[in-house]
Amino acid sequence: MKLALVRLTSIKAIAVALALAGCSNNPYPAGDRARKILYSSFSEAPKTLDPAVAYTTASHIVTGNVYDTLLEYHFLKRPYELMPALAESVPSAVPHPDGGVSYLFKIRDGILFHADPCFQLSQGDGRSRKVTAADFAFELARLADPTVNSPLAGSFAQVQGFAPFAERLAAMRQADPTFAALPAHEQYQRAGGIAGVIVRNERELEIVLSEAKPQMLYFFAMPFTTPVPWEAVAYYNGQRGREHFADHPVGTGPYRLAVYEKQYRMQLERNETWYGSQAGMPAAPGATFPREIDQQDIVSKQVDGDYAGRRLPFLDRINFVREREDIPRFNKFLQGYYDEGHIIKESFDAVVQNDALSPQMAARGMRLDKTVEPSIFYIGFNMDDPVVGTAAGERGRKLRQAMSLVIDAKAYLELFLNGRGVLAQTPLPPGIFGYDQTYKNPFRQLDLARAQKLLAEAGYRNGLDARTGAPLKLSFDTPNTTAQALLQYQFYVSAWRQLGLDVEINASTYNQFQAKVRRGAYQLFTWGWIADFPDPENFFFLLECGNAQSKSGGPNTANFCNGAFDRLYHEMKSLPNDVRRQGLIKSMLALTEQERPWIELFHNEEYALSHAWVINSKPMGLSYPTYKYMDVDPELRSRLQSEWNVPVRWPLYLALLAIVAVTIPAVRTFYRERQ
Amino acid sequence: MLVVLLLAGSVWLARVVSRDRFWRENASQLWRRRPIALITLALFVGIGLMDSIGWVGGGTPGDDDVAALRSRTLIDRLFQPERITESSYSAPLASVSFYGGQPLTHPGRHLLGTDILGRDVVYRTAKGVRVALLIGGFTSLIVIPIALLFGVSAGYFGKRIDDAVFFLMTVLASVPSLLLLIALVMVMGRGTLQVCVALGITGWVHFCRIARGETLKLREAEFVDAARALGVSDLTIIRRHVLPNIAHLIIITFALSFTGLVLAETILSYLGIGLEGSWGQMIDQARNELSRTPIIWWNLTGASLGLFALVLAVNMIADALRDIIDPRTRREGQ
Amino acid sequence: MAAYLIRRTIYGLFTVLGVLLLLFVLFFAVTDPDDIARKAVGERARPEVYALWKKNHGYDRPLLLNRAYAAADSRRYSDTLLFDHYRRMLTFDFGNSDADDSAIARRLKEGMGPSLSLTVPLFALGLVVSVLLALFVAFFRETYIDRAVLVLCMLTMSIASLLYIIGGQYLIGMLLKWFPISGFAFDPYLAGRFLALPVLVGVVAGIGADVRLYRTIFVEESNRDYVRTARAKGCGEARVMLAHVLRNALIPILSNIVITIPFLFTGALLLESFFGIPGLGSLTVEAIQGNDFSTLRTMVYLGALLFIAGQILTDVSYALADPRVRLT
Repeated sequence: MKLALVRLTSIKAIAVALALAGCSNNPYPAGDRARKILYSSFSEAPKTLDPAVAYTTASHIVTGNVYDTLLEYHFLKRPYELMPALAESVPSAVPHPDGGVSYLFKIRDGILFHADPCFQLSQGDGRSRKVTAADFAFELARLADPTVNSPLAGSFAQVQGFAPFAERLAAMRQADPTFAALPAHEQYQRAGGIAGVIVRNERELEIVLSEAKPQMLYFFAMPFTTPVPWEAVAYYNGQRGREHFADHPVGTGPYRLAVYEKQYRMQLERNETWYGSQAGMPAAPGATFPREIDQQDIVSKQVDGDYAGRRLPFLDRINFVREREDIPRFNKFLQGYYDEGHIIKESFDAVVQNDALSPQMAARGMRLDKTVEPSIFYIGFNMDDPVVGTAAGERGRKLRQAMSLVIDAKAYLELFLNGRGVLAQTPLPPGIFGYDQTYKNPFRQLDLARAQKLLAEAGYRNGLDARTGAPLKLSFDTPNTTAQALLQYQFYVSAWRQLGLDVEINASTYNQFQAKVRRGAYQLFTWGWIADFPDPENFFFLLECGNAQSKSGGPNTANFCNGAFDRLYHEMKSLPNDVRRQGLIKSMLALTEQERPWIELFHNEEYALSHAWVINSKPMGLSYPTYKYMDVDPELRSRLQSEWNVPVRWPLYLALLAIVAVTIPAVRTFYRERQ
Repeated sequence: MLVVLLLAGSVWLARVVSRDRFWRENASQLWRRRPIALITLALFVGIGLMDSIGWVGGGTPGDDDVAALRSRTLIDRLFQPERITESSYSAPLASVSFYGGQPLTHPGRHLLGTDILGRDVVYRTAKGVRVALLIGGFTSLIVIPIALLFGVSAGYFGKRIDDAVFFLMTVLASVPSLLLLIALVMVMGRGTLQVCVALGITGWVHFCRIARGETLKLREAEFVDAARALGVSDLTIIRRHVLPNIAHLIIITFALSFTGLVLAETILSYLGIGLEGSWGQMIDQARNELSRTPIIWWNLTGASLGLFALVLAVNMIADALRDIIDPRTRREGQ
Repeated sequence: MAAYLIRRTIYGLFTVLGVLLLLFVLFFAVTDPDDIARKAVGERARPEVYALWKKNHGYDRPLLLNRAYAAADSRRYSDTLLFDHYRRMLTFDFGNSDADDSAIARRLKEGMGPSLSLTVPLFALGLVVSVLLALFVAFFRETYIDRAVLVLCMLTMSIASLLYIIGGQYLIGMLLKWFPISGFAFDPYLAGRFLALPVLVGVVAGIGADVRLYRTIFVEESNRDYVRTARAKGCGEARVMLAHVLRNALIPILSNIVITIPFLFTGALLLESFFGIPGLGSLTVEAIQGNDFSTLRTMVYLGALLFIAGQILTDVSYALADPRVRLT
């Protein structure tokens, strides 16, 4: 029996080890349980944290906390309203006689950068230094710098001397290699800076625009225009073992980046030298919890009334862990190990019933916050294509109209997003000026008969080309090769099949897709857009000819080029929100309605979930982090976590028992035979 | 085209087997040992063949123009996916839809329910058979001739040829096969042909090594020496004496690599470079459905069962074949 | 012995050169650097940004021979992608990732720890469990236990590894709540908690083939003459198995697993990716999904290098363990 004994003890040892380690599934160190730490997650590692370049949600959760901006959106007011942050007030436009305007920003006193070794380039002790107007000008120059490659460079074209500065810089670099090797700030200085960015003195910055553009102020609420110390850019150049500036942000914000292992985790620690936290500083709007709180927010527990007027921030640390897969992320949220989460389609029915939280979840104290994002998801046609595009004239238009009439966006939402979204009638989402709730797009209502008629008029009766008799073959191109995405494309394809259209899905690797886009060899694609700022211009520019993919590599992937539309767009673009603008928008929408460069699908609705211990979780909607307003109750969290995570042990004992039960008779028969 | 080739090949194989006493005995012994596995495999091959024979037109009454215009295979005609579909999920043999509880258009007809787009899961699983056989079978069609050419010539002629082939083999074998596979697919692009070629490039080394090793042994064998002394040409020796004597090894290796290939495709699917309509893709699409409440298990089950049955059958056959043919294990069994 | 070792190593070196040539053909000759650049800096970038990126990543040079430079300076004839590829790979200077510019060497260093902390326990536990189980089965050979375990092994071998992971995560992580569903920590106590589930799943998924192989070895060994002699002398079956069979079967088993040891460093592709362990396996999966050619290239190269090292190790250990192996 010796051998069997050995085996049994080894099994027992493994089982005991498993049972010991399995005492808890809590993923955090025990010492952190009483601290004010917010636990959250991210799915895609940020590509860059350079505020001039970072443009994704994953980057903004860091840059939005580490970098402050001159202006911010009010935390609670809707529609969105700008308020001063690093600036002392929101400046108003001063008109110039030549048709331009200027804005004068007065910068708060006593703003400090995070302490960082890079400051040894200017201060001897290498601690930190005060922010001056020149730091803002430096960042604006970086936006113009072609090698920085800012995605927003085009939006600052109205700043006087913006494009000439970029050209000057490029020319000087081309001509003189020693100049190109200088640190960025010296290059900018020698190139003479941007004419329309004037540093009046240490605390006054003037921006001169060549024409009126009311939307310009929104850009000063985005991390793109944050103050950046030239020392950080010069120091973190990726040489001599130093990091790149894109991986090492140095800002002024309420939090600083303490841990950055972007494939795995990120940690933000409270910044003790933040202008809002410094003793003796007068209460600033960007550093104080709003005093006037809507009663509705309090009743829905999105905001706690007791926080009115208190100094920000409340959290000591924000802990982000990488979660590539939705399901584990959501289940850890349900187990209480993430404080906030977004609903996923698989768990929707367990969490939401009749458009509210299910009784089980409500009993756990969970909250559900719904916001319609200022976004649009659509199927686009490549208007350069000879079959579906402009060149096909009336035939092409009717084909597009017919294809638009059979796409059931409602069914799509139900199948793939649990109906979370608002059906889109136009490119404009709710909450954006020009959105008309009563409008119904005649080509976005399901109508198979009309679609068949239009298709016949286009010369493709039942999907057969009337001239040749051959079936019309279209291709739907996507760089997404996953099996999960394939299902969604198959949904559209089967809708078009009702018309007799034969649409083939071409899921190619990124390289193949790129080559296709370059050659213009694509016909149909899907795309989504989330607004940077709440203005209709931020949607219509996706259809402007100058932004066409085929002409300038711009975001107008549909390559829609329509003279009438462009004239209206340029007139509408810089108007304030008045009746005239509304009229122009209406005419533009009438154009897209008939021309159908897009089949508008839906505006995404975000269902954000938070646990009972999360305080002030009201979502912003725009992609701006609101962590500095949030707080947690660690005691409640700790208690509920242990309540919800009692391991189920009996299967382990059962399995052990089964192994023993199977082994013993074998051993007995064996010995009987041998003896 | 492919079908004709495969059919011709199997007919030829059947003739060889029935003529040769050694093979006939082994085949009948295999049949005695593993009847169920052989029947399962035959069933899969049958489905795969049925799914490969397709033609345009001749639709059943009630089909719309679209379906009639496309080429449809026997399997398509059997299941009629254009007509028999629901709007979304439905449980196996249910009469109402899974969410909302509306009555189905074809209640009780879906043995394994329907997927998110309302397609019959049994139909999708059946469609996966052909893809799986393609991965395993078509790839081997590319691999075996190349491997034999290189392996046998290296083993038979030796010297420089052997050195060159052996070096090529070592290099290719040094690269971890999954990584090489992925790199090849990424570089060549996606598509059935590309994936099969990539699988072929990574797979032929294994065959080649075995062919080379066996040929090396055979070259020294007395009957080869005798043939050579009689002035028989090298080509004839290879054809008459070498190839028949390594055939059994090739078959066993083929069976083993077949299962490896089919299983590897699931990983490719997870990485987003799998073949369209494969079981790997079905599993990848279905894996999140386990988190739905109530749980949706039939999609995962359909694909997993198909995969499991095919791989198990081939594994069992390979195992039995090895026992039958390999004299070493045969002796040990007694 | 020394001569053999040297000869073997030199051949290994040539193999490395061959692998590098293969990689060059795959990643430089077939892939267009313009596409890689476009993916990295975005489609809307201006031409000078492309040019700068390509220069920084060394993609701006000609493929094989640099004729443009050669006219001025013959030494720069070799300033090409091919020579640079060889030089950098052989000196382990992997450069920066094509996807996000981070230094690949740093990523490798960061990923090694998590990878090893998964693969080493997985390897050790897998080995111990499968050897014990195989011994157990060999002990009871030709009984119902033997047959049952063999069938069970065949069944487990026929299931796709993806399904083990999906099932394990669902059953143990979500329903039973024994361990965290996924994640990782560097703190050893927490790390044990995170790693228990992937190790368990990995062991179960890999055990079938191993047990069958080891059982064959044990059974073969226990039919040998010296074992019969021992039995005839009256040794107990348990003693025969443990003292004689196990010890002698260890040589083929060990030489079988030596080849896998180097791969502990490259991590486990699927396990790491599913369980969120930030190791080299995850790094590879991400490189695949993000079209990060330079990282993928490095991983393929390292994999090949380790394999070659493993082969040399195996040959040497064979030679050491079994004097009958002729060192030719």
